Amino acid sequence: MTAPDTTGDDARKQPRVHFDRHAPEYRDRFEEQTREFHSGCPLAWTDTYDGHWVAAGNRELLAFARAGEKLSNDHDIHDERRGYRGISIPAPPRGRGIRGGFLEMDPPEQRAYRTALNPYLSPAAVKRWIPFIDDVARACIDEKIETGRIDFVDDLANIVPAVFTLAMMGIPLKKWELYNEPAHAGVYTPPHSPEMARVVEAHMAMIRDIATTLQEVRAHPRPGLVDALVHLEIDGAAPREEDLVGALALLIGGGFDTTTALTAHALEWLSQHPGERTRLSGERDTLLDTATEEFLRYFTPAPGDGRTVAEDCEIAGAEFKEGDRLWLSWAMANRDPQVFTDPDQVDLTRGGNRHTAFGLGIHRCIGSNVARTVFKRMLLQVLDRIPDYVCEAEGTVHYETIGVIQGMRHLPATFTPGARLGPGLAETLENLQQACDEQGLAEPVTVRKAEAKIH
Amino acid sequence: MKVRVDPERCQGHTLCAMSAPKVFELSEIDGHSSPFAEDVPTDQEDAVVEAVRSCPERAIGVF
Repeated sequence: MTAPDTTGDDARKQPRVHFDRHAPEYRDRFEEQTREFHSGCPLAWTDTYDGHWVAAGNRELLAFARAGEKLSNDHDIHDERRGYRGISIPAPPRGRGIRGGFLEMDPPEQRAYRTALNPYLSPAAVKRWIPFIDDVARACIDEKIETGRIDFVDDLANIVPAVFTLAMMGIPLKKWELYNEPAHAGVYTPPHSPEMARVVEAHMAMIRDIATTLQEVRAHPRPGLVDALVHLEIDGAAPREEDLVGALALLIGGGFDTTTALTAHALEWLSQHPGERTRLSGERDTLLDTATEEFLRYFTPAPGDGRTVAEDCEIAGAEFKEGDRLWLSWAMANRDPQVFTDPDQVDLTRGGNRHTAFGLGIHRCIGSNVARTVFKRMLLQVLDRIPDYVCEAEGTVHYETIGVIQGMRHLPATFTPGARLGPGLAETLENLQQACDEQGLAEPVTVRKAEAKIH
Repeated sequence: MKVRVDPERCQGHTLCAMSAPKVFELSEIDGHSSPFAEDVPTDQEDAVVEAVRSCPERAIGVF
C-alpha cells in the first residue's frame, strides 16, 4: 500500500496496491499477497492495466454479486452500447477477439442463453452421463496402465473433459484434439512466445469448426448444446452468428482447461500427501464431496473475473464511478480468514465451505456440475486402478502465469503396472459416438431422462 | 426448525443438497434448490445448519 492522496479522483481510489496477476512471480507470491489483501485492503485500487479495483474478500464479493445492474459483464466489441470491455483485464485490443459468450453479456440477453442451456448442464442432466464419462476415463487409463507411467495432464485430465464437452455439444468425439490444443495452449502460451503463431492458427481452426458445426446442425439437426443455440431467440430474433460462436467457444473454454487444472492439482497434492490419499479412497462415501469442494476452494482453477461499473454507486463501502473496472478474485476470497479457518491448509473434511471457485451471482459457472462430476469420476478411477502413483517433480510443469487459469501442462507419474479392462481410446470413442447417436445422449434432461447405456 | 431458500439469491451451487440431501430438492432443469418441506425433521437439523454455513450465496434461512 502507498500513502493516500486525498485530492481528486485519487481520493476515492484507496487503498492502493500493486497487483499484477499476470506476472510470473504472482503464482509463487499468491499466498503472501493474498494475506496482505485480507489484512487491511480486501477491496483496493491498483494502477496496473489502465487501473482497476481488486476485490479479494468474501464479504466484498458477495456484495458485488448482489449489486445487480450496478455492474456489467458486457463486452461491447462493436461499440454499440457503452463500450464496456467484458470480463478480461487487461481487455483484448479493440476489434480483436470475439465476445466471450453469455459471460460477456448482461440480462436479459444473458438469461436467455442460460435458460436454453441449463437443461443440458443441471445436476440431473449430468448424472445421466456417468457411464459415458467412466468409459472415457477407463480407456485413458487403459492406454497407460501396462506401462506403469502416465502423464495425468496429457493422458487423462486433458482428454476426459474435452471428449465429454464435445459429446454434450453434439460435436463428433473424434474432433477432440482439434479443440483440445487451442483450449489449453491458448491459455498457457505467453503472448511473446514463438509458439504463439501456431496457437493462434489452432484457435482459428477451432473457431472455423464451430462456425461450420452451427451450419451443419441447422441443416441436419442433432441433439446437444449447439442445437439449443441454433434454436435460441431473443425478443423473437435469432442472435448474431458471432455471438453463437462466442457462446460455444465459452463452453469449450469453460469445459476443458478448468477441470483439467483442478484434476492435475488435486492429483499432485494427493501424491504429496499419500496418507490423505489412502484416507480419501477408503472413506470416499463421506469424503469425496467435501474433498472435491476443498480442492475447488484451495486451487480455484479460474481465479477471477472482471466487471465494469455501470453507474455511479457505493458498494462494499467504496465509491465507484461509471466505467470503473473491477477484478473479482474468486481465488483470493477462497483464502479469506473471515470465512475459512486455516485458509492456506487443505482440509478434506472442511465444513461450511462456501467457496467461490465457481463465482457468485447470476454468472455462476454454468458447468459446475460437469466439472465436479468429471473430476470425481477421473479421481475415483485413479484411486481404484493406480492407487500407488507417485508424481515426478522433474517433468511437472505448472502454467508460467496464472492470470487466466491456474493450470498445469504436464504431471508425469509412475505406478505399479496393472491390467487393461477394455479397448483403447480410439476404439472407445467410436463406441461412445455410436451410443451418443443411437441413444440421443445429448438431448436435454427435459427430453431424455435415462442414463447412458455403455457396453 | 423451519428452513427456507431465497429463490432470488439461490444460483444452483448445490452445496446444500450435498450436506442435507433429504431436506433440499434440486430443480431438474437448473439445479436451483428448494426444501421438500419447510419443517425440518429433528434428525436433519445438524445437516441443515451445515447447509446454511456452506451456501455461497447465503440464500438459506432457518427460523
